[in-house]
Amino acid sequence: MNDFLFYVIASAVALLSLLAVTLPNLLHGAIALVGSFFATAAIYIMLQMEFLALAQIALYVGGIVVFMLIIILLTNDLGVDNSLSRVSAGRQVGKGVIIAGFITALCLFFTSNPSLLLRTTEHRAAPVSIDEIGIRLLSTSNGFIVPFEVVSLLLLAALIGAVVLSRRENKKEEKP
Amino acid sequence: MMSSYAELYPVNNFIGDIVRSIFPEPAAAIINGLLALLSLMALVGSLGAVLIFLERKVSAHFQLRFGPMRVGPHGLLQPLADGIKAIFKEIIKPAGADTFIFFLAPLLPVSAAFLVLAVIPFDHHLQVADPAGGVLYVLGVSGLSILGILLAGWASNNKYSLLGAMRSGAQMVSFEISIALLMLLIVMLSGTASLRGIVLAQQGTIFDWWIFKLPFLGILAFIMYLVASTAELNRTPFDIAEAESELTGGFATEYSGISFAMFFLGEFVNMFVAACLVTTFFLGGFHAPLFGLPVIDPLLNLIPGFLWFFAKAFLIVFLYMWFRWTFPRVRVDQLMYLEWRIMLPASLILLMLSGLFVAQGWVG
Repeated sequence: MNDFLFYVIASAVALLSLLAVTLPNLLHGAIALVGSFFATAAIYIMLQMEFLALAQIALYVGGIVVFMLIIILLTNDLGVDNSLSRVSAGRQVGKGVIIAGFITALCLFFTSNPSLLLRTTEHRAAPVSIDEIGIRLLSTSNGFIVPFEVVSLLLLAALIGAVVLSRRENKKEEKP
Repeated sequence: MMSSYAELYPVNNFIGDIVRSIFPEPAAAIINGLLALLSLMALVGSLGAVLIFLERKVSAHFQLRFGPMRVGPHGLLQPLADGIKAIFKEIIKPAGADTFIFFLAPLLPVSAAFLVLAVIPFDHHLQVADPAGGVLYVLGVSGLSILGILLAGWASNNKYSLLGAMRSGAQMVSFEISIALLMLLIVMLSGTASLRGIVLAQQGTIFDWWIFKLPFLGILAFIMYLVASTAELNRTPFDIAEAESELTGGFATEYSGISFAMFFLGEFVNMFVAACLVTTFFLGGFHAPLFGLPVIDPLLNLIPGFLWFFAKAFLIVFLYMWFRWTFPRVRVDQLMYLEWRIMLPASLILLMLSGLFVAQGWVG
């Protein structure tokens, strides 16, 4: 049951990702991308990584895709007529085949020599609760407090920058 | 997978126990899950009818009219008649519209509402799933309704629709920041991001609800959350996305028949979902409003929790409707000014002050 579901979801991820990059209409591609994000979240839930799945949905579907859509809607040319020429399409396919072959070879190598890489992951990872993640992020010993603070400073700067940029210029009105 | 789903979120109420006593374990988990989904679907369908009837009646009485009176006693069957009419109307797709997206878009707001309803704790054991990061889930999934509106506006191949969609996208994305910050405040106070945990953190009398427990700041946060969620719902006074007088209906201009009805349903069920979230975060969810009095409290506790929950949620829904018939529509720039120059700094300050209150132990 578990394996069967995994294959269904994994093939959905593969298919939707493929659609996202091959569909000529950008907006259709974006919708396929949303689908693939959801399917990826489903895989995270199967691995019992609930927080990762929720973050995936909240960040990608709720945030990034919406901004992508706004950008796409503001572009005039949706790329409907911009299909690749046969030569360059062939090149892209060739690159894809080479990369796929390389990754398959890597997987085969590591599955036949499990002592090299897979030892850390061969035990099923214990599910990490959202509380543990929060405590670990903010703890001063053995935690991630410094990167957390740096990131929050960066985000604050971005937020203030956005407010400053969108502020109305009052200089011209003051002249008369 | 089904077995681990059942381990994570077992259906603990008496229906779940009955199903488990009849069927063996793997089948029982599947049947329980299906039953939960079916009951959610029934809830969404019946809520749509109830809320549309309420909106028409409330708006009519605000304007000293009767509203629908002919179909059934006091017009009670009017939603049914409206629904049948919408189903039999023709769906007209404008020339040059993108067929796939045009028909996909109306489904997204309803599915967002449906997905959020799955984590709402209606009663102690009346909740489809209780993920530990429930608040995060709510924030993420509600992005689907923005997606639906944006796609509808673009796919209609109409300038009014696109303008409405862009306005509404900008508005919903902006106000989601305030909503997220206020949710964060509640998560900080409750010490958990699970919706059930948030309700359980407000156990006790009425003064243990977050709206009253946090001195002064609670009621302020409640009002700000109401304003931000009204804007997120695209309801008057923030309905610049539809703006009948300027944009002839915004993103829904080109929709007719059942696909328009889906937008309508999504809008109303989303309003109920927002009211449910307000109830969960500020009004103690399914807890009865106890006052610490000896005789009245046991009587109030006799009423089942889900009735309290629905009573509180419909009170908030009534507030939303009241807003609609009280305030005039704001302009686009006023709306953006409200969010970025007033609500955002205010919610940040509120968050910091509440952090101070929690750290000093002044809560409650």
